[in-house]
Amino acid sequence: MLSWEYPPRVIGGISPHIYFLSKHLVQQDVKVYVVTCDFPGAPAHEVIDGVEVYRIDSYKNPSPDFATWVYLMNMNMQKETAVLTRKIADKVDVFHAHDWLVANAGIGLKHVFRKPLLVTMHSTEMGRRDGLHTTTEKMIHETEAWLTYEAWKVICCSDYMVGHVRYVYGLPIDKLVMVPNGVNIHNYDGDYDRDAFRRKFALPEEKIVLYVGRLVYEKGIHVLINAVPKILNKVNAKFIIVGSGYMKEQLLNIVRSMGLEHKVLFEGFMDEATLLRLQQAADVAVVPSLFEPFGIVALEAMAAQSPIVVSDTGGLSEIVEHDVTGVKVYPNNPDSLAWGITKVLQDDGFANFIRQNAYRRVQEKYDWEKIAIQTKRIYEGVLGEYSKSFWA
Amino acid sequence: MRIIIFSWEYPPRVVGQLSGYVSVLSTELVNNKVEVNVVTYDDSLRGLATEPSGVKTFRVNNPVKTHIGVLTWVLTLNQEVERAAANFYYDAKKQIDLIDVFDWHFVPAAVTLKNAIGVPFVFSVESLEDHRSPNASTSYNLAIKSIEWLAFFEAEKIVVKSEWMKDEVTRIYNVPSDKICVITPDGESWIPDMLQIYSSAAGGRKLEA
Repeated sequence: MLSWEYPPRVIGGISPHIYFLSKHLVQQDVKVYVVTCDFPGAPAHEVIDGVEVYRIDSYKNPSPDFATWVYLMNMNMQKETAVLTRKIADKVDVFHAHDWLVANAGIGLKHVFRKPLLVTMHSTEMGRRDGLHTTTEKMIHETEAWLTYEAWKVICCSDYMVGHVRYVYGLPIDKLVMVPNGVNIHNYDGDYDRDAFRRKFALPEEKIVLYVGRLVYEKGIHVLINAVPKILNKVNAKFIIVGSGYMKEQLLNIVRSMGLEHKVLFEGFMDEATLLRLQQAADVAVVPSLFEPFGIVALEAMAAQSPIVVSDTGGLSEIVEHDVTGVKVYPNNPDSLAWGITKVLQDDGFANFIRQNAYRRVQEKYDWEKIAIQTKRIYEGVLGEYSKSFWA
Repeated sequence: MRIIIFSWEYPPRVVGQLSGYVSVLSTELVNNKVEVNVVTYDDSLRGLATEPSGVKTFRVNNPVKTHIGVLTWVLTLNQEVERAAANFYYDAKKQIDLIDVFDWHFVPAAVTLKNAIGVPFVFSVESLEDHRSPNASTSYNLAIKSIEWLAFFEAEKIVVKSEWMKDEVTRIYNVPSDKICVITPDGESWIPDMLQIYSSAAGGRKLEA
């Protein structure tokens, strides 16, 4: 398993994905080695929940820019993985790469060991940037296309992503397979004093509206900020924004100019324990994304038993059944978003109804054990095909 | 003996003097009963060919066409070099004695192959980043230098063409001087010297195929 992030290195959603997927694959009797980038204080090798984790020195080479760093890191990752593979007597059945960030390493290892390569495409450059505008973006896009070309199977986390990835790289449909992302409902186990916890963030009479995500354009946080006054016209609420990103200053200025600094709290990056509680304490969790391959944060809110309002786009459209497990609103539309949030905040009966349905849906469909079983089945299918190829 | 040569230029592609040198060397090696496979890059030619000299070539293209610089171009090309080399390796029933890699471009591939399939490599120095870009101190230059360093570190033997270059390699990269071999390309003992170096780098394997 190749990934540029694994806990405690957490940059985005890939890190927890690899953590849970690996752990549950081990429970399905798959031997998993994760090769990932280093992190201050984390050992170069350790066993976590039965998963062999190897962290490489990823800042060995001076790099002029991020993309070049990625390729140089891949050079090192590929070498270290080759050493590891030889150490375990070439007993690797498949290499599983996650996103273009480990493309070169995955492709090189496939050819030198002649083993099948699988890739999970968590996102695409085309989707992240809403088109390809710069040379760097085109280069990354072509690297992604190359990776999906070399892969035996391409795994996507939603039907939306299957369609998107197929269109973006022109892949044959039988190469693509959908396995949803999972969520761990036991993250939210344990008792806590809800009222005392709430008081740290909001007055007792204020409802809590929670946003968790990077403060970047594609996440649609600006749509939520624009919806704030419309919501406050009808409901007394506190908006808590967790996460950071390049739009932070701009968003702060808008809030300041609206005179709503006392209603909108920018919390920045938050420690996990507090965040888990906050997700439980929220009266509504909002995911206003413009582009969302999957929408793990919506799933987390469902597991935390918080009602959700999401924009009707990408993976979110599939996760949420409108008026049953949550509320879907028009993407990039502050009026629609304000309507959805107000609806949940004003009607406790409705909020409870979608909260309970959503929790049940998470248990049925987004359970890591089921996802690991599906993934193992894909490995076995690929190995079956591989065993009949001239590489075997 | 069966070897693979990595060079980013080989006729008809000529960037500098390396192309002609690798061509003459590979031909001479074939005449001395060494089986020579060359993995190289070309803008339009691609795939497997047998040259009139008897040298087998595999020309690769870059799967990623758009690049922000030579460095990213080289780094994505390396996986194609690995693929070509792996094809030679598996087609030869895993009997490849050595890789000879010229300059820094395909060093990442040589390092991976050494660690993945246990084929040692010789690093042949045509030129160094410090000489190509004097006062090379931008992170771009330093990245290339870090790849050169990797080559010196991982190579079994280093081949240079002059005593001056040997001194430079020792001075800039602190390479132990007994790891560096000076060969004179136009001298009479050129090919015997090369075969000696190859044999020693390949763990004393037989010189002839």
